[in-house]
Amino acid sequence: MSCETEAELTAYVDGELTPADASAVRAHLAGCERCRSTETLLRRTLGTLRALPDFEPSPDLRRRVLARLEQAPAPWRERLAALLRPAVLVPSAAGLLAAGVVTALLWGPGGTALPPGLQDTVALGVALNYEVVADYELLGLDGPDDLEVVEHLHELEGRP
Amino acid sequence: MDADAELMLRVARGDRSAFTPLFDRHQRGVARFAFRFVGDRARAEELTQDIFVKLYRNAGRYRPSARFKTFLYRVAANHCLNEVRKGEYRVKHVSEGPEEGEPVETPAPEAERPDSHLAGRELESQLGAALAGLSERERAAFTLARFEGMAYRDIAEALEASEAAVKSLIHRATLAVARRLDAFQAGAEEPLRSRA
Repeated sequence: MSCETEAELTAYVDGELTPADASAVRAHLAGCERCRSTETLLRRTLGTLRALPDFEPSPDLRRRVLARLEQAPAPWRERLAALLRPAVLVPSAAGLLAAGVVTALLWGPGGTALPPGLQDTVALGVALNYEVVADYELLGLDGPDDLEVVEHLHELEGRP
Repeated sequence: MDADAELMLRVARGDRSAFTPLFDRHQRGVARFAFRFVGDRARAEELTQDIFVKLYRNAGRYRPSARFKTFLYRVAANHCLNEVRKGEYRVKHVSEGPEEGEPVETPAPEAERPDSHLAGRELESQLGAALAGLSERERAAFTLARFEGMAYRDIAEALEASEAAVKSLIHRATLAVARRLDAFQAGAEEPLRSRA
């Protein structure tokens, strides 16, 4: 039958007990041969583990990881910051505004259908700016889950 | 704030160059953790790649209130546990024996003396068998304590467990490994004694 103090022995050997608890275990060890034997076994094992050769990753690992990082999309903050540069944001905002105005003209009260050529232009404007909205969910970035989705959007690209 | 935390915050702000020194400083530890977790060098290196890519992608989630190393091993432990549970990686340890034509996995280049190399391989094999017999959380806690030298408090944070639970995991794991290695070493010494 093992004694209750045995459960404390690994933490004792690891120096993880409070001074009071360590002192209690020390006192117990003085009178318990079984626990003394377990303590000796634990200390011997830790010595054996420390003497094992260290794991040496292959030199190629570094190159492989850095290559994957090169291919990985930049963190979303960096991508968002790039998109929010005035040079990108102003034309995009203007495009969105124009698309909005044309849509209102088309579908608003008293709106009339535009010629097919102009409809195509509107569709193009929406399509050009759709990526900004769809890729970054600018209107809905309000929690970690949204960030996770945005972060992995690229993984969905190219899937049917 | 430690130097790693500062680098990680730079990565979070979009500075890719800050990631390389972080990788250089921690790649060996993460690879060692993965190796002890799955018992296979090639798989450990694949996991290490995934862990660092994941770390990079999630840089924005890092908060300097958490020690960087703890955050890193939280990502590493979660990834290894998830991959093993998904069945992507079967835990394989050297005790299972190599497949035909496959060398026995060892963590480092061969030792100079053939007899010490053999003893080291056998010890590794026994350790692998003992680790394979542990639960995933016991193996993770044991590896972080024994090979990464982490304190129980940090392991608890990395494994999202209480300190009392980690203490229990480490105790059970260490005792199981100790008994296995002790039985092996006692058996290995027996022929020497009988020859004397």
